[in-house]
Order: sequence, then structure tokens, then C-alpha cells
Amino acid sequence: MNIRGFVDTSFVDWDKKVSCVVFTAGCNLRCTFCYNFGLVLHPEEFDEIPEDFIFNFLEENSDFLDGVVVTGGEPTLQPDLEDFIKSVRKFGLGIKLDSNGTNPEVLMQLIAEGLIDYIAMDVKAPLDSEQYSKLAGVNLNSSIGDIKKSVQLIKSSGVDHEFRTTVVPGVHTKADIEAIAKSLAGADRYYLQKFQPNTRFDKLNENKPQSDAEMEELAEAARKHIPSTEWRGR
Amino acid sequence: MTIKSLENEKQMDSTDIALFVRVSKGDVVKWSRQSIVDALLRETSISPEMADKVSREAENAIIASNIKFITAPLIREVVNDKLVHHGLEEERKQHTRLGLPIFDVDQIIRNHNKENANVPHGPEATNLSLAEAIKKQHALLRVFSPDVSLAHESGDFHLHDLGMIDRPYCSGNSLEYIKKFGLNLPNALSIAKPAKHPEVLIGQMIKFSAALQGTFAGAIGWDAVNLFLAPYLKGIDDRRMEQLAQILVFEYAQQAVARGGQSIFSDLNLYWEVPKHFADVPAIGPGGKFTGNVYEDYIGESQRFVQALLKVYRQGDAYGRPFFFPKPQIHISEKLFKTEGYEDFLTQVAEVSSEMGNPYYVFDRGDTAKISECCRLAFKLEESDFNDAKTPWKMRYSAMQNITFNLPRIAYEANGNDDILFELLRRKMEQAVKGHVAKKRFITGLLNMGNTGPLGLLTMDTDGEAYYRLHKASFLFGMVGLNEMVQYHLGSELHESRDAFKFGLKVIAFMNKMCEELGKRLDMKFVLEQTPAESTAYRMAMLDLEHYPDQARQTVKGDLASNEVYYTNSTYLNVGSQVSPIERVKKEGMFHPLIEAGSLTHIWLGESRPSPESIANFVVKTFKHTTNDQIAFSPEFTSCLDCGKNS
Ligand code: SF4
Repeated sequence: MNIRGFVDTSFVDWDKKVSCVVFTAGCNLRCTFCYNFGLVLHPEEFDEIPEDFIFNFLEENSDFLDGVVVTGGEPTLQPDLEDFIKSVRKFGLGIKLDSNGTNPEVLMQLIAEGLIDYIAMDVKAPLDSEQYSKLAGVNLNSSIGDIKKSVQLIKSSGVDHEFRTTVVPGVHTKADIEAIAKSLAGADRYYLQKFQPNTRFDKLNENKPQSDAEMEELAEAARKHIPSTEWRGR
Repeated sequence: MTIKSLENEKQMDSTDIALFVRVSKGDVVKWSRQSIVDALLRETSISPEMADKVSREAENAIIASNIKFITAPLIREVVNDKLVHHGLEEERKQHTRLGLPIFDVDQIIRNHNKENANVPHGPEATNLSLAEAIKKQHALLRVFSPDVSLAHESGDFHLHDLGMIDRPYCSGNSLEYIKKFGLNLPNALSIAKPAKHPEVLIGQMIKFSAALQGTFAGAIGWDAVNLFLAPYLKGIDDRRMEQLAQILVFEYAQQAVARGGQSIFSDLNLYWEVPKHFADVPAIGPGGKFTGNVYEDYIGESQRFVQALLKVYRQGDAYGRPFFFPKPQIHISEKLFKTEGYEDFLTQVAEVSSEMGNPYYVFDRGDTAKISECCRLAFKLEESDFNDAKTPWKMRYSAMQNITFNLPRIAYEANGNDDILFELLRRKMEQAVKGHVAKKRFITGLLNMGNTGPLGLLTMDTDGEAYYRLHKASFLFGMVGLNEMVQYHLGSELHESRDAFKFGLKVIAFMNKMCEELGKRLDMKFVLEQTPAESTAYRMAMLDLEHYPDQARQTVKGDLASNEVYYTNSTYLNVGSQVSPIERVKKEGMFHPLIEAGSLTHIWLGESRPSPESIANFVVKTFKHTTNDQIAFSPEFTSCLDCGKNS
């Protein structure tokens, strides 16, 4: 697998767990708020990390680890994602997968084989092609159908999951958040994430991130459809 | 110097010279050569004939200078000069005057003391600095033998707290003592009976801590605070419980008005479970009376109080900043995992770690139990201590002194030869141990002066023995720069190769064994400690750059250009190296069983606030899968003193 980033110990990326995080190269979207933009556009500028390096670490430290978070980029673009996950599972570790939901077939396969313990999907905008394309930075046309399919698949998968939306200042309205939440109704968890400055988009975006109070207000709006909605990034 | 016998004209056989002397008590008196003779005979081992000769030479020199007013210190220097001329080196030392150049005093009064970040700048703090400067000179000249003093000054090893030579280093205390005997301090105007109410008990504890800080150089630790308070907390509602916790933390934290403007370096040892060795111990309650119950019966109050304390730590001060003192030391033992509610408790502690960073997690595996002090020093309880546990007011421990070795220098001197390296280490420990013996002799002398002596507080005897239990005192050996020692000796740092790491273990095992040997030989207790020695690590690096420039340039960490250099602390792995927290707790933890008086691994959390559950999870795994003794987490934020905000 094309791995261009590795965090050996994380207390952040998988709630309640001690995990390590693997970053795969490349993505099929171009979200302007992406905070891994380098990994998306110029993965070759990061050293490739051999799988064996990671497996050695897992072998020596599986006593401390609960699982591995596979994120990106977009991991479902990696043709050997499934093999990688299977190798990790041999160490007795769980898998959390982060995805943008553009490849429902890959997700379906992994879920069906019981290879995933937790799945986190980004939902960037209300699920219509035009709005979604604006935030995802590419013209989605009919692929919006794939994203909708992934949402349905994850909700009904029986696998622990969350959906999340990064709230972009000056772009997302309260009505947008409510609309997204509505389309996700029935999900386990929904998180709004506060926009982190210093990303590429920051330079283009003059607006300040939402205040804590504004985030809470948006979360409250989303709770109409998903009562457990929370926000992150305090 | 005072010149006493001026009125005594008969004793004056010198010419009646028209010279006036400004004496230190603030007077101007007429010149008297006899005063020089008197001082020499009183203060030194010189013979009367020689004293007379020296005094005449000094007088001649002074007359020849034509000076009209002279100060007593200057006369003393002239006399010292003559002593040197006669080769009376020992007498010169005995006759020397301690003090500071006026320039230095001016600097100390005006500028902030950079060496000790804990000391705020102010008249109280500069009093402390000035006093310490003189006591340090006194220690190096009077307490320690010249070779030990020289080894300190040249940076072979570091004698800690020389400015507090007349105090033991640090102490572990028991609330039971105050509960049983009240507060009965020597020289106190009033004596307090055993407390009846928790507020009063907490007040007594803090007053006593402040008094102890006046007689100890380092930390003041308290064992099982929440448990020993518990018998006073029956029937107290949540609101009052929280207020009591606030009183305890805030009152301690605000004692920065105490000695030299420093906070009391205080530690609160806290437990969720009732530790095994206290479970069946009869509890002492209000009025200092046995309640008829044992401590196990107070687990409910004990737990509620520790929860209330954690709330206070989580909130921080009025600006939301963390409290640096008192430090919460959270004990983790096997019994914790059998005590109901431990998961929520650990999560609550971890939340404080994640947001504020203060808690230290102390691992008591198997049958060990510890009292923790001053970041990492811990007193491991021995068989006899567990007997003391039945009468917990007896549980008072102290380390008398700490001496830290400059390990990289030994590697420079050994120049790649294993045998020489261990031989040098052995010799330096043999030499340093004389420093411990000297300190013990000096403190014992002060203690023997009884309750009117300078350490009167420590001699108070309410339970059949002095408060300071000399026979229990331990003597610490610390180390700086194991990493750089190994790096120079083998060419790779501790984390870079298995051989380097193994060699590091061998060095510390050797030091540990030396402690045992020396202890048997001298009937004293020597133990290794990871010295909390940031300033020592800097001092040694600077000295080595001066004296071993070719070697030290290869190993020192930090920035050579700006002189911000240091050796890696104690047995730590290079703090800047890419070692995962997991590997760090495992690897550093392998040293910990050899360092009996306490060690610590620091985990940096980075910018994001991690989930408390993940931290708790990591703590439990560290307990179960490593031999690490103690860990603490540092969230990456700095408190801005100007705006009071955290970022
Ligand atoms: S889907 Fe994720 S990785 Fe890809 S561009 Fe968007 S934010 Fe970045």
C-alpha cells in the first residue's frame, strides 16, 4: 500500500483507544479545507513508509495498541487496502477506516468480510451534486449517488460508525447543517468539526472559524435529526 | 570582624598610629594590632608566636600604605595575604571571610534569578539567594573535604542544595501525626490540640508544611491524604466536600509567600482504593481519637474527597491555569483494579492530565508501596515500614542529600575502554560517598543541639522518638547524561541500538550495586534517584564544553551557538528523538527497577487534547505491560503570565 505518513501512538484518532495512524497517498476529491492537502496533491514529497516498518512496530507493541486507523488521502483508492487490513488484523488489532464515501463497493466488500471495527465518513455538504461539488473541489455529477449509497450502507451495516462535517466559515449555513443531518438520520453518531485555520483554504478564506457558541448552535440544529450530535475542536 | 579589645590599652604594644577602622557592627574604632592576634588565635590553629609575627607584618603593610580609614574585611584580607606568604594555607582557610562582591549583590537584588525558575523575584527571594550564596561557600569550605568540594566545583559530580547545607533534602510525612498530636511546633506562640473539624486539620497540615519547608531543602510530601482525611468527612455533603478540596489546593498553591517567595514543593499522595497496608489499621478521627473503625470503612469518604480534589485540579485557578503545587500523585496498585468505580476514576484523572497536565501516575506493582515526592523521588516501603503502617503517624521518611554524577565525563576520560569506565565510576562513587558521610555528620551535629538548636522542629519528640528519624534517612545518588555517556562510549545513543541500550542498563545496574556495597560498608542507606536536575544538566554540559571541548561537542544536546546546551536528564532517552510514547514507557521503564528512589517517564501529548479514556487506557497498559515506575503527561500549552490565559 502507498503509505506516506505514520503516527505511532495516538490518543486522539480513535476515541477511548490507543491507536496508530496510517496515511495513504492520494485522493479523488480536492476539498479546499483539506488539512492533508500535501498528501492529496504531492504525496511523492513525503517519504514512503514500507509496510514492514509498520508491521514491525505492531509486532513489538501490539500489547499497547488497540487498533490501527487507516486514513488519507482516501484509503479506498488503494488496490491492496484489503490485504493490508488483513495483515494488521493478524496482530489482533482492530481497524478504524476514514473515508470520503466515494467508493461504496470497496466499503461494502470490507464490511461484508467483517474487516472493519469502526468507520468514519466525511459528509462535506448537503447531498446534492451542485453543493457537494463546490466543497469537494471536483465536479461530482452522478457520483453523488455513490456518496449517498455509502451513507445508507454505513448506517445499516451494524458496524460502529460516525459521520462528520467540517464546518467551513462563510460557506456552511445552519440550514445546510440541518439538511445534512436530516439525510443522515438514524446514524450512530454525528460530529461537527470546527474549521482549523492554517490549512490551504485558510489563505483563501478570510472568515474566522465559528465560535464555541456558534458551533453549539449548529450542533443543536443537527440534533433535531440526530440527537447525539456533538462538535469537536474546542 | 569586630575588634574587641581596643579599650585595653595595656595590650597594645604597637605605636599609637592615627588609623581608624570601620568595623562590621557599624562603628569606627581606633587601630589595634592586638585585635588581629586575638582573631587569629580564636579562629585558627596558628601558634601565638606566628600570630604575633603575622599581625606585625600586616600592620606594617597597612601603615606603609598611608591609608586613613580601613575596613575590617580589608584588614582580614591583608592578614590572609601574609598567611599565604608563610604557607599557612589551612590557617588562611580558617580565617577566610565569606561573602559576595558588591557587584554581585547588586545584580542579585536587581535581576531575576535565572537558575531557579521556581523563585519569583523580590526582596524575600533575594534574601534567599544571598543567604544561599554564603551557606554554599561555608559548605564547600567547612562541611566537605577539599577533594569532594573540588569534584563538585569542577563538575565531576554535583552536590545539590549546597545553599541549604543545614537542612536535609526532602521529606515524606503522615497526616496521622498531626491528627494524633495536634500542632505543637517548637518556638510557636500557641499550641494547637488535635483538630476536631476538617477545615482545622487542613489548616494545620498547611502550617506544618510551611514549617517543614523551613527545615528541608526540597519537597514536602504527604501520604494517603484523602484516606487519612476521610474520618473527618463523615456526613459531609458534596458542596462542602468541594470547598474543603478547594481550601486544600488553593491554600497550598498560594503559599508562594513562604520561604524566599517560593511555593511549598508539596505532593499529595492519593488513592482510589484503600491501600492494602492501611486497610485494617485503626482509624484516627476528630480530636485525635480512634474512631473504633478501620480505614477500609472510610473508602466512601476517601473516594468522594479525591473526586472533589480532581475537580479542583481540572478547573485550575481563577484564570483556569493549572496548579503546579501541590502535585497530585495518583497511586495505581493491583487492588485499584478490584475496587469498584476505578474506570471512571481513572478517566477523571486522565481528563486532568489531558487538559492541565498535573497528575503523576505512581505504579505500585505487586507488594510495593511508595510515598512520592518532588516529581519523582519515592520512598519505597520496606518490611519495617509496613510495620510502621500499623501506627501510621510513625511513617516519616527523608532523603538527606542528593549527589548527581556527570556520566558523560566518565566516558570522555575512559576513552572507549570498558574497564576504565567502570573503574572511574567506582572511584567517583567512593569519593562522592564521603560527601554523604560529611553531610550526615553535619546534620547530626545540628540535630544533637536539641530543640533549641537550628533544627529544633525536627527534634520534637511526641511519640518516643524525634520527628526526624535519622536512622531512616536515605542518601541519594543521581545521574545526568547516561545517554551521552553511552553515545560517546559506543557511538550510538540509547534509542539507536540495542547494544547501546544494554550498556546503559549495565551502567545503572553497576551504580545500583555500588549503592548496596557502600551501604553495607558504612551502614547507611544509599539509593539511586533520577535527579530532577535540569540546571545541573546544563551546568555539566557547559563545564565539559570548557574542559573536554573535543568530546563534549560531539554529545551535548541543544544549541551550541547560543550556549543553550544540556545533557539528557538521568537515564532518559534523547527527548528530541522520534521514539513513540509506547517505546518510551517500555524502554525507560526498564531502568526504573534499578533506580529505587524513583524515576519518571514524561509523555508529551502534542497539540490536540486527547480523549481521557485513551490516556487512562495507556496508563493501565503501562502498569500491566512494563516495569515503569511513574509517568506523567504534558499537554502542549503554555500559561501566559501576562494575560493569564492558556494557549
Ligand atoms: S476527501 Fe479528505 S483527503 Fe480527500 S481532499 Fe477531501 S478532505 Fe482531503
